[in-house]
Amino acid sequence: MRTKKEYLIRYKDGNLYCELADIWIDPSKPVKKALITHAHFDHFTFGCEEYISTKETAILLKERVGDNIKIKTFEYGEEFKINGINISFHPSGHILGSSQIRFIFAEEKWLISGDFKLQKDQTCKQYEIVKTDYLISECTFGLPIFKWDESNKIANDISKWITNSPEKTSLLFCYSLGKAQRLLNEISQTNFKGNIYSHGSIHKMNNSYRKLGIDIKDTIKIENKKKIDELKGSLILLPPSLSKGSYLKNFKNIQTAFASGWMSIRALRKRSGYDKGFAISDHADWDGILEVVKKSEAKNVFFHHGDSEALSKYLLEKESINVLLFSK
Amino acid sequence: MSLKKFSELFGDLDSINSTNNKIEVLKNYFLSNDPIDNSWAIYLLTGKSNKRFISGRYLKNLFSQIYEYPQWLIDTCYLKVGDSAEVISLLLKNKTNSRKKKLSNISLNELLSETIPALSKLNEEEKNLEIKNIWETLPEDNHLVFNKILTGTFRVGVSIGLITKSISKLFNIEQEIISHRLMGDFKPSIDSYEFLINKNINLQELNSKPFPFLLANTIEDKIFKNSINDFQFEWKYDGIRMQLIKRSGNVSLWTRGQELVNESFPELVEKMSHIKDDFVLDGELLVWNFKEQIAFDFSLLQKRINRKSPTRSIQIKYPIIFIAYDLLEINGRDIREIKLENRRIELEKYFSKWQIKTENNISDIFKICDLIFPKDWPDALTYKEKSRENNTEGLIIKKKTSIYSSGRKKGIWWKYKVDPMQLDAVLIYAKGGSGRRAGLYTDYSFALWKDKELIKFASAYSGLTNIEIKELDKWIRKNTIEKFGPVRSLKPEMVFEISFEKIQISKRHKSGIAVRFPRITKWRKDKKINDADSLENAYELIKKYHEKYHEK
Repeated sequence: MRTKKEYLIRYKDGNLYCELADIWIDPSKPVKKALITHAHFDHFTFGCEEYISTKETAILLKERVGDNIKIKTFEYGEEFKINGINISFHPSGHILGSSQIRFIFAEEKWLISGDFKLQKDQTCKQYEIVKTDYLISECTFGLPIFKWDESNKIANDISKWITNSPEKTSLLFCYSLGKAQRLLNEISQTNFKGNIYSHGSIHKMNNSYRKLGIDIKDTIKIENKKKIDELKGSLILLPPSLSKGSYLKNFKNIQTAFASGWMSIRALRKRSGYDKGFAISDHADWDGILEVVKKSEAKNVFFHHGDSEALSKYLLEKESINVLLFSK
Repeated sequence: MSLKKFSELFGDLDSINSTNNKIEVLKNYFLSNDPIDNSWAIYLLTGKSNKRFISGRYLKNLFSQIYEYPQWLIDTCYLKVGDSAEVISLLLKNKTNSRKKKLSNISLNELLSETIPALSKLNEEEKNLEIKNIWETLPEDNHLVFNKILTGTFRVGVSIGLITKSISKLFNIEQEIISHRLMGDFKPSIDSYEFLINKNINLQELNSKPFPFLLANTIEDKIFKNSINDFQFEWKYDGIRMQLIKRSGNVSLWTRGQELVNESFPELVEKMSHIKDDFVLDGELLVWNFKEQIAFDFSLLQKRINRKSPTRSIQIKYPIIFIAYDLLEINGRDIREIKLENRRIELEKYFSKWQIKTENNISDIFKICDLIFPKDWPDALTYKEKSRENNTEGLIIKKKTSIYSSGRKKGIWWKYKVDPMQLDAVLIYAKGGSGRRAGLYTDYSFALWKDKELIKFASAYSGLTNIEIKELDKWIRKNTIEKFGPVRSLKPEMVFEISFEKIQISKRHKSGIAVRFPRITKWRKDKKINDADSLENAYELIKKYHEKYHEK
């Protein structure tokens, strides 16, 4: 039995773990049973006996890693039981299929935020406010210097960036799942009407999104030996892993940019080595995190993924919200 | 025609890497703005304005007060951002939703010649209110530039050369002329801008201005293929590079940073005015040991630099000398276009007589730079190695046939610096960097052994590659013993080779020594902390390079 001091969910070997259900959340090493919040690779590992996720996450995962995994799926809001614990997925607004996970046991509610954002994103379901007693939240951008602009403003900046240099090929680096599709969706609503190419890994995810009913602009899959003139004035979406190394030699007369929340800081922009940075993120900014903490009505909050020291101190001083620390 | 336009220019210049594109952006800016704003833009971009109206700390406190933000939270943000002006502009986002944006079109001129200077006439309370008011009425994307100007930290990645090139291209005037016109105390005004872009070149107008300085490049191996006779060799002094100008009877002293420093060195101004000729000399100002005929250490010169109207006793205690390298103009004749070897002849012709000890001589404050005559390149190397003995930094090697152009022109002048002194030291503290290195631990302190204790002896932040910085940053986070604000004390484990230019006794430091220009030259992963050097090794270095050029 669980004693008073033991939390329903705790940190074990660097991962979130619920002992009562013997289930792990986004584990980084193979386990028996894994709940997966979304299909990014830093939240997934091969070799688990069974995965449980939303339907969309399962489809995206299989597109990325093949059909060889056993995934059980549930709809958003649909409750299922493991060892007497009621578990359900709720939209987290991070990418298509991303979810928060709620646990209810003996009238005690726990909520794992997963990666989340509150900003509008037409390529996935809007974040849903879920009430809880215990909240485990990510805090990737847990400082007040992080405040996002509306994504259509960023898209307009990107459009201007491309059209201001018509003689150049504009390479925009972004994560291939989620960020790329959101950008495509936004850019297609701007004044930029030129060609858009995307790298194979992004192209594949675009198709998956379309199959799941999301409206994504048609892009041309980038081939390595495109004629240079053909690419002038067009936009090419590439995964960040290709920004270093010889891949860029395939192009001539380029300008590069990186789309990430970190790009709101000048020093990080300069250090990144890209010509330009667009501060757009699929994570919540400072105000977003505070809003979720407040609206969830959680009395106890844990943070992970990020530097939580300042955020915790602020919540305690200003909102009298108690932030707990996992013993890792 | 506004701060808004200038903020856009700043954003563009900040995010463009290509030089040609930067020039295009600058040309467009100058074309589409009026002369007065252009002159302010040039003033800011060339770094002529670094006046600090309020400090970064003041700015942070003010924000904390107005918006009831905890100071510690602002400080935590600062560690990530590394720039007070930027932190506040990021925090101001969504805070100032005043409907009246009456300042949205404020001109650069109004802001810089009226609004900001007016702040210093206000008392603290009024000043705070006014800054708050400006924040709330300025469009958000102008906050960064405004805060930077306010705190005197406006800097952007364009060189003066790039600015002059843009103006030169735009108005089809030689770049040399533009850069000359920009020398000295360029004051923003319609007149100064119009003078800058005037196609009629009247040399008389440039009379009050120094010439653009010619700078030396670091030596390249290819020079050794040339005949040694093609070059002139001088000692590389560690003083203040200067142009000593006498035109129409008036003497002026201009530093390479384009500051007029007549007031700091009145005895030099006075003596030079005895010379009947008009001239422009390029040379170096030093505090001089007249008995030994070598320079005193730079630290003594520092005692003179910032002191205006020095007393007679200061002048005697720290006797200065101007060492003339080159003659650029004589009696109104600009001779920069003639060969160096011929300029040297002119220099000696006009000035040798003044250093002979006769009545009225100025040998107690003026000297033509001695030349060195190595037989061959290995001999030049021997001279270079000896340079520490006479407190110089190495050699300057000048092509005899070169004309005096401007900037760091390739293939004309070289500096051949003496190899640095080195010690292996243990990393004991790390501090978060600022600016481009914000959010990473990049300021390091190093220690040497004294018996069984590690004593801090130097701090350094340059020399590691970006990859090494990241790797070390990770290690630092994992091996912290204690945190004191932004500083972490570390497990003594990592050994680095530290290079520096000078070493001397210092009572101010716990280690008892001070080094000049310390930098990391190697991450000695092959060494254990017990292999690091001791303070005794450091004292030996001091002894080796005897101290005749230090204060007695």
